[in-house]
Amino acid sequence: MIKILVFLSMIFIGLAGIISAAIPPLQKDIYTARDKVLPALVHIQPVITDYRTGKMVKQSVVGSGIIFHRDGYVVTNYHVAGKSERIICTLYDKEQVKAELVGGDPLTDIAIIKLDLSAYKGRLNIAEFGNSDSVQVGEYVMAMGSPLALSRSVSCGVISTTDRFFSGDVRLPSGERTGIYNNWIQTDAAINPGNSGGPLVNLEGKIIGINSRATMFANNIGFAIPINIVKFVTNSILTSGKVVRSWIGVQCQELQNLEGWFGTAVNEGVLIASIDSKSPAENAGLKAGDVILKVNGRSVSARFEEELPSFYKLIADYPVGTRLTLDVLRGDQQLAVEVTTQELGDILGEDLECKDWGFTVKNITKQMAVDNQLDDTLGVFVSGVKRVGPAGDAGLRRGDVIKGIDEKPVNSFQEFYDRYTELTSAKTQRALLTIRRLGSTKFVLIKVESSESEKEDN
Amino acid sequence: MRKIYALFFFVILVHSAHALRFDFEKINEKSKDYIVIVNTKIEVSFGTQSSEVQSKTIGAIVSKDGLVLFDGRDIDSDNPYSIMSGMMISTEPKSIEITLLDGKKYPAEYIGLDKFTRLAFCRINSEEKKEFKFAAFKKRDDFKIGDWVSAFLLLPEFVTPRLGADIGMISAIIEEPEKFVFAVGFSELELGSVLFDTSGIAVGILGELENPAFAGLESSNMPSMSESESMVSMLGIIGAEKIEKLIKNPPVKGEVTRGWLGIYLQALTSDIAEFWGLKEGGGIIINEIINDSPADLAGLKTGDIIIKLNGKPVDVDKEENLPIFQKEISESGAEAEVNFDILRRVEGKVDTLNITATLTKAPLTPAEAPDYEDKNFEMKVRDMVFVDYNLYKLDKRDFKGVVIKEVEPGGWAAVGEMEPGDIIQSIGSDKIGSIEDAKMVFRKLSEQKPKEVVFFLWRDSKTLFKNVKTDW
Repeated sequence: MIKILVFLSMIFIGLAGIISAAIPPLQKDIYTARDKVLPALVHIQPVITDYRTGKMVKQSVVGSGIIFHRDGYVVTNYHVAGKSERIICTLYDKEQVKAELVGGDPLTDIAIIKLDLSAYKGRLNIAEFGNSDSVQVGEYVMAMGSPLALSRSVSCGVISTTDRFFSGDVRLPSGERTGIYNNWIQTDAAINPGNSGGPLVNLEGKIIGINSRATMFANNIGFAIPINIVKFVTNSILTSGKVVRSWIGVQCQELQNLEGWFGTAVNEGVLIASIDSKSPAENAGLKAGDVILKVNGRSVSARFEEELPSFYKLIADYPVGTRLTLDVLRGDQQLAVEVTTQELGDILGEDLECKDWGFTVKNITKQMAVDNQLDDTLGVFVSGVKRVGPAGDAGLRRGDVIKGIDEKPVNSFQEFYDRYTELTSAKTQRALLTIRRLGSTKFVLIKVESSESEKEDN
Repeated sequence: MRKIYALFFFVILVHSAHALRFDFEKINEKSKDYIVIVNTKIEVSFGTQSSEVQSKTIGAIVSKDGLVLFDGRDIDSDNPYSIMSGMMISTEPKSIEITLLDGKKYPAEYIGLDKFTRLAFCRINSEEKKEFKFAAFKKRDDFKIGDWVSAFLLLPEFVTPRLGADIGMISAIIEEPEKFVFAVGFSELELGSVLFDTSGIAVGILGELENPAFAGLESSNMPSMSESESMVSMLGIIGAEKIEKLIKNPPVKGEVTRGWLGIYLQALTSDIAEFWGLKEGGGIIINEIINDSPADLAGLKTGDIIIKLNGKPVDVDKEENLPIFQKEISESGAEAEVNFDILRRVEGKVDTLNITATLTKAPLTPAEAPDYEDKNFEMKVRDMVFVDYNLYKLDKRDFKGVVIKEVEPGGWAAVGEMEPGDIIQSIGSDKIGSIEDAKMVFRKLSEQKPKEVVFFLWRDSKTLFKNVKTDW
């Protein structure tokens, strides 16, 4: 009897061995990772607002997100939900819940939304963040999300590179600059529109990145924001509603091939290529060609362009108003330069639709003034003009800065809003805008015919 | 373009059926020695950019010593203001080649352009040939509407022979704004061609009556003209009398004599006039005055409205008509005194003033700026000009450099990531203030032969460093 039992158990053990041998370890890992993350995946359908055509346009978009907090917080891309008005989310069990925007950060393309779980009966699954500093090229990863709105989809690949840098001006569809403070993880796991905001997952079932960009006209080149950046941003948003950054106004450049000229050792220093006008750096007397060797005693270097984001982040992470001591190499002189940081502030300003006049304006932020080479932040920035409408007919153009109405100065967004509301509620039919365009002043006469405000354009 | 050719062949056929009275054999025989194809190379500025273009037109030898008359619209220098509105401005021809109908080619020297007929002049340079057969024109004041004339038509490059014939009909004879005989049936491709009457005698040259409102307007900037307005043909006969005058006294090239006032301007539309309580539209609103410009020195002020120029009302009531005023200023030439009646609005009151300004020479365009090509770095640079400072809002007193005009693809400058439009502020440790500085430094480098050179550049309102490698 005992012998039989032993024999039978041996058969069972053997069978079990055969069964488990049938699933290769990699497949098993993929299943395990899948089961850890997929239940926390969210299909997001926000309605976003766009002002670029000269009127406020609401548009329904699709993206992905991942639940990372038991209170129902979901991380996604800023370009998915950062400017959303209303958000519908579909959870893993296909139940739909509403969500609201908590905050967003265009510079890293991260936004947080909070699920309304008051009526949700299911069990909330939460995914775990990993450590993006320890990811390796060649490591297996999975991308999860809703490519082309096809929800709960998984694709697989490896990490192609861990620190992809995009030189030049990378912008979100809404026009904000992004990617100054982070590199991207590149993967060949298929990432398509709709994957945006979804997780990049390692075989331990931990999230190592948030998928955010795919390259058009290329196969299997997708980019994710490293999760360590995401952790920093989500913490800031959850604690203070936004990411506060310090700014000194230097544009830096990698030192590779230039060390000989600037007399620096390899891996020593960060080269200042350009100084933003009216910035703390300009006030402190920093110059293009200075090489920053130390920031508050801490050595810094950027020999390759991939190292620039971490230098910018180092500066950005100091509390606003910090007095930094920069050890600077200028020619063969070494100087200590004191710079007090200012708040970077919003990249783009608030929007306003001037419906009766047929255009939209933005509040001019400090960064917009730097970006558009404006003399100051006075006035409002025309962000879009309806082709047919009083402003379109009068020749107002996107990019014009409105400096005055009826030859009285308009210095702020609030002043513009007040004057606009005053004139339109009084049904004034003529308004003379003073604008700046390409460094010169022009007058634009807005003519509103009495029926114009009720007319709808096509 | 093909369509156009097809259309004209069609026209020729239809016409020929009715009007075979032309003796084309005789015309050909007489004209084969003096009808030429003129190939000019010019440089065109567009904003802060410039590029070389070629233009081919029909021309005619009009004197024994090889004076050639041709269609000069492509080389008609525009006015300085148009840079601001993104229009094209061309330089004088850099080189001209004349091809006779027997295939002989001669270089020619540019002489000048008559601003009113927009006919250009050049002279054939030839060692071997000193005497040319030339066109003689018969004076005719007796043209009647319905008379026929014939012209040559320049055919595309891939066909031989290059010339075809076309005929047209006198359609109108006008006195205002100047005496001009209109002809229908011709195309702009035939401008500059000698015209023959039915007896086979040369009677003039096909020219264009210019509508000043359309002058210098490029298609990208075309105002909203009505369809019919833009289709009206303005072609007609430049007669023997005028040609004779021009041959006797050809326009002079050289010094740029475009007059310049130095203002940013806007049309006084009837809407804005009404808004300001002015009687009627039509005038120039001065939006901005360039420091130390003739306008500034004359005491014109931002916000002034020019209503009369030299006593003549300025009838500019829409933006499309601005070139009328601009052209007038430009053609007044440097040193000209121009008189303005202006309205000055002060606290609700409107004063009328009379101000005289002395125009200066128009600032150089990017294409006119002195340039230099460096063979080692494989790029061309030019001096900074007015439009660079103005468009990029740079301060002339403390911003200096040379603009990269061209970068040879695959050359060292290109490999070093330098781009056309970049402004070089220093090369190595040498600051570059002008094209002369640049030449000197490039020469010095060609002696020192460094393996690499660091350029300090200005690009899109930011500065940057570029390491450029060399063959040395």
